[in-house]
Amino acid sequence: MLEAFSNFGISWLDPWLLLLTASGTLAGIYVGAIPGLSVTMATSILISFTFKWPVNDALALIAGVFMGGVYGGSRTAILLNIPGAPSAIATAIDGYPMARRGEAGEAIGLTTVMSVFGGFIGIAALAMFAPVISSFALMFNSRDYLLLGLIGILLVGTLSGESFAKGAFAGALGVLIGMVGLDPMTAEGRFTFGSISLMGGIPYIAAMIGFFGVAEALVQLQTLDVPAIKQKIDRVIPRLSDIKRYFWLAVRASGIGTIIGALPGTGGDIAALLAYDDARRSVKEPEVPFGEGAKEGLVAPEAANNAAVGGAFIPMLTLGIPGDAVTAVIIGALFIHGLKPGPLMLVETPHLFWFTVGNLALANIFLLIFGLTGTRLFTKIVECPKAILIPLIIVLSAVGTYAIENNPVHIYWMLLFGVLGYFLKTYGFQVGPIILGVILGPMMDSNYRRAMIGARGDIGEFFWNFVSHPISLILSIAFVLMIVSQTPLWPWLRKSIRKQN
Amino acid sequence: MSGQSTRRPGELAFICLLTLFSAAALWQAYGISGFSGLSQPGVFPMLAAATMLASCLFILASTLRTRSSREPGESVVFWRDVLPVRLLVILAMVALYLYAMPWLGFVIASGLFLFASFAYLWRKNALISLALSAGSLAAVYFLFRIVFEVVLPQGKLLPAGVF
Repeated sequence: MLEAFSNFGISWLDPWLLLLTASGTLAGIYVGAIPGLSVTMATSILISFTFKWPVNDALALIAGVFMGGVYGGSRTAILLNIPGAPSAIATAIDGYPMARRGEAGEAIGLTTVMSVFGGFIGIAALAMFAPVISSFALMFNSRDYLLLGLIGILLVGTLSGESFAKGAFAGALGVLIGMVGLDPMTAEGRFTFGSISLMGGIPYIAAMIGFFGVAEALVQLQTLDVPAIKQKIDRVIPRLSDIKRYFWLAVRASGIGTIIGALPGTGGDIAALLAYDDARRSVKEPEVPFGEGAKEGLVAPEAANNAAVGGAFIPMLTLGIPGDAVTAVIIGALFIHGLKPGPLMLVETPHLFWFTVGNLALANIFLLIFGLTGTRLFTKIVECPKAILIPLIIVLSAVGTYAIENNPVHIYWMLLFGVLGYFLKTYGFQVGPIILGVILGPMMDSNYRRAMIGARGDIGEFFWNFVSHPISLILSIAFVLMIVSQTPLWPWLRKSIRKQN
Repeated sequence: MSGQSTRRPGELAFICLLTLFSAAALWQAYGISGFSGLSQPGVFPMLAAATMLASCLFILASTLRTRSSREPGESVVFWRDVLPVRLLVILAMVALYLYAMPWLGFVIASGLFLFASFAYLWRKNALISLALSAGSLAAVYFLFRIVFEVVLPQGKLLPAGVF
């Protein structure tokens, strides 16, 4: 216990780590807030710079950027009606009408306090439940990991995309990209076409930066001429009466956020929308109707999306399954530092777990400080024209990709994925499942083969194992239900059940 | 399952390309180890490629069911919305920049790229674009070369140790 506590406090006492967490949080707020820059983009570029750093330094910076970025999106949602990040979509619904009434400062203040509150609940859940889940996860078999990977990719694909088929395609494409190179089990080449450079595989950092950085910059070109709207900000510190009034709503929203964040494949965006929906149903008489600037409509999604940060770390650290695109990128960072997120991580490197918990808590405190100060400077920066931002994103993406192995070929990969990502996004495909597929693909492949070897190559026994063990059965049912719910069979089933009732 | 009723310009051609790519990927995956065993290195790539192909066929079928935008003509809208001149120019600049970086080095290539793209996209006074590109390049160089100690391309055409 004492050891856990001392690891928790590492970044609180070390001035360098303190500085890194603070600058990460500050940078995250701006990155999250500036439309066109996303937390995933920033994290993937950041990883390429920090991979030579000591792991604690890198994690401190990344935790700050993640925490700040999830919150930062709310700023532009309130001020410009443009959610800076997907997790702030629900915030814009009531935040922007408040800003139009001249209450932008109040909206930002309330959002900040509730985000920090939600953040702490998520972190507390991480500290309490991750060790329990981790010891439970030690009982997981290779087929269970295969199922978890499949569920994760499909969830990201189905919840955020235009159609299930497009999500499934994106996930499978990611898996295929992850398969390129020498097979780790037999050293046989897969999709290498005799090229030596392909034998090492496609660099996933180049894929990440291409899909999230370059592709996004190209998409932003379409809205280059949309002018920025200016807002005046006055009182930022929220009223104590407001905090008291919305306390229980924030507790409930944080609970929703933590649970949704902890489910593989669902992140802050879904958590915020669900919490918003819950608030709309449960708050019977809001002061102002929802959609017209109700404070409840700000409190619920903001508490939920920051609570989802702590929640998303639970499956990431205990099962090695990312909660969403950002945690997929962070898993990539952990791999680069030679760490293997999964049930053994808490057994082998418990200090790292408690360090992460402490770090997230610290980032949350910085969030409160930076969230309530410097709003005037902030409005100036977010008004930065896209004509300046887009070339800068491309330069940063190029530096980030090159920095990993100093290999110019990687930047060509980045450009290729950037162009492909642009077309995919234009035609309604999501790029998040691709990155999940790239990262989880090799893990799923090796677990599939282990499970198949365990069944002595007998396909009947292989499938029987999925239903004859309790954990595998639950996961299999979840997987099948997920697929069935996306087919026309689902509405038909629901209709016939309703008819019978 | 796909909610849209009208087809985006160029969507059908893009889905066709994805379908062809998926079929080729499946063929290549089959070539790894064929059907020689269920735990062979080619099985999972085959499953992934088959999923891609099946989804593509499904997407293709639903795209064929949608209407294409008739006014003012699909190709006109495609070149206006999906591949406008601005995007093509920027893509050409990016390709040139990335190609030139190993030769000219990070500083010169990025400086030229930033200046050209600011001048093209922002359309302000050339001096302002020049000052802005110099300022942002200095900031990027300071942050990444000096603070983060990232090794940046030096440029084969430049004498060693210039930047």
